[in-house]
Amino acid sequence: MELNPSKIRLEILNMAYRGRSVHIPSAFSIVEIVCVLFNQYIEVNEKNSDLFVLSKGHGAMSLYVVLVLKGVLPKEYLINYFQDGSLLHGLSEYHVPGIEVSGGSLGHGLPIATGMAYGLKKIKKSNKKVFCLIGDGELNEGSNWESILFANHHQLDNLILILDFNKYQAMGRIEDVLKLEPLEQKFKSFGFDCSKCNGHDLKSLEETLTALVKNTNSKPKVLIADTVKGKGLTFMENNNTWHYTVLDEKTFEEALNEVGRNA
Amino acid sequence: MRERLSNVFVEQAKKDPNYIMLSGDHGYALFDPIRKECPDQFLNVGVAEQSMVGYAAGLCKIGMKPVIYGLSAFVPMRVLEQIKLDLCHSSHNVTIIGDGAGLVYAKLGSSHQCCEDLSVVRALPNMTVYSPCDIYELESCFLKALSEDNPTYIRLGKADRPTVHNQNIENFGIQNIHNSESTVAILATGSMVSVAKKVAKELNVSAFSVPQIVPMDCHLSKKLRTFSLLIICEEHSTTGGLYSAILEELALTDSLLGKRIKSIGIQKKFNKYCGSWEYAMSEHQLTDENIFDRIKLLIED
Repeated sequence: MELNPSKIRLEILNMAYRGRSVHIPSAFSIVEIVCVLFNQYIEVNEKNSDLFVLSKGHGAMSLYVVLVLKGVLPKEYLINYFQDGSLLHGLSEYHVPGIEVSGGSLGHGLPIATGMAYGLKKIKKSNKKVFCLIGDGELNEGSNWESILFANHHQLDNLILILDFNKYQAMGRIEDVLKLEPLEQKFKSFGFDCSKCNGHDLKSLEETLTALVKNTNSKPKVLIADTVKGKGLTFMENNNTWHYTVLDEKTFEEALNEVGRNA
Repeated sequence: MRERLSNVFVEQAKKDPNYIMLSGDHGYALFDPIRKECPDQFLNVGVAEQSMVGYAAGLCKIGMKPVIYGLSAFVPMRVLEQIKLDLCHSSHNVTIIGDGAGLVYAKLGSSHQCCEDLSVVRALPNMTVYSPCDIYELESCFLKALSEDNPTYIRLGKADRPTVHNQNIENFGIQNIHNSESTVAILATGSMVSVAKKVAKELNVSAFSVPQIVPMDCHLSKKLRTFSLLIICEEHSTTGGLYSAILEELALTDSLLGKRIKSIGIQKKFNKYCGSWEYAMSEHQLTDENIFDRIKLLIED
């Protein structure tokens, strides 16, 4: 079954409204990225599958919905979201089936993914790839840059870093808080094979990722996915107060109308 | 002690290719035998302790058994959150070696000294904590740590103190190292065990080594039943280390009544002046002579 972005957004809206969850824009920002990864590369519980590490745990709702749609998690988990005694937290956690690392604290996923990539390539001599999805605000964390140095030094071309480049972090615009640009030059100068594409266009994501993955030039890879925080809802897009805001009845109805009730 | 660490790892690494030693650019000649005998099982990650913990978690996830080596001032202290989340939360089989614990790096200054590590790691879920006193306890603890499937921390302090045992230990409860008819017992860990043994002989009291701090010996109350004065010695802060661990365990079994329990350890202050290890210890009244005098006073009190 091919994953469908509108369906994922609808499920996120429902679970977020029922559970009164914040962080909806972080989840909406990565919907297409996780769609492509799980349509093309990742098969949970399949021994030979490539591996996926969600480092930006704030986007967890996207992954939860995908894991439910893929049959890894029961549907009830979405219905019971944020209820007492329920399994899924607001930030992704290791003990949930299908989730490789606890991602709430930023700058953890990439070092772990890098360790996996090192072991797979250098010791286990495996061809598996490790995909790691991080946020742009997360690139403030020094541990990521340590891993970027390491991945280049050890020529980990099986590590594919995907950057959800939505230009916002918790307190404001990346540009105003801590500049990242010029990002492509940064990654290239750190020895990465770097591509950029529209992070909400499935075809563009698929093609760019395929080209990156195919390229076995001993360089680690990075895909800068140009995204919009809150993508899909006009009132939420690029409005950072929604990082901290929950849907009320009115905004929920408005959101359903825009995403499509029957997605 | 450090040589034994290196040799034990080489022996194990040769038997199992999944063992891998990671260092954050610390250890220098210590790892020569590993680099020579099993070069693919040694990885210097660079001066990057926080991501080293992540790499270890990642390696563990694909079936490896990593050992991470650092100075205790950095591993676990600097990277505590990475240890909590990347290793303890997922209960990964990673062995953490924190070398140079206590005031070993007396001449280098406070950045490299570490007297708080036991306090913080003791609180982490899923973590086992060892504090060996000599090569025999070290080998026993290291082999046990490697065989366990949860994260473990091995605290290595001053490494040139006299050897206490003459063979590996078989259980990890408190180790009786000097017997007496006295109602006084000294309990010590790590670098303080050899002096505890010496003082116990001189003053004719009992002494125990405590190689495993977490979990604490569950028979502690029973083993210490006949003693009315316990003196706890550690090259670690008197807050949160061995002293606290023993108080907590005895309190759990309502065994504090009728006992005086005294602490001899590192005071809550940074060392301002430079000097030898003995000098640094003297700032906390912890030289061998200080310890003898303090214990004698406590017994006579």
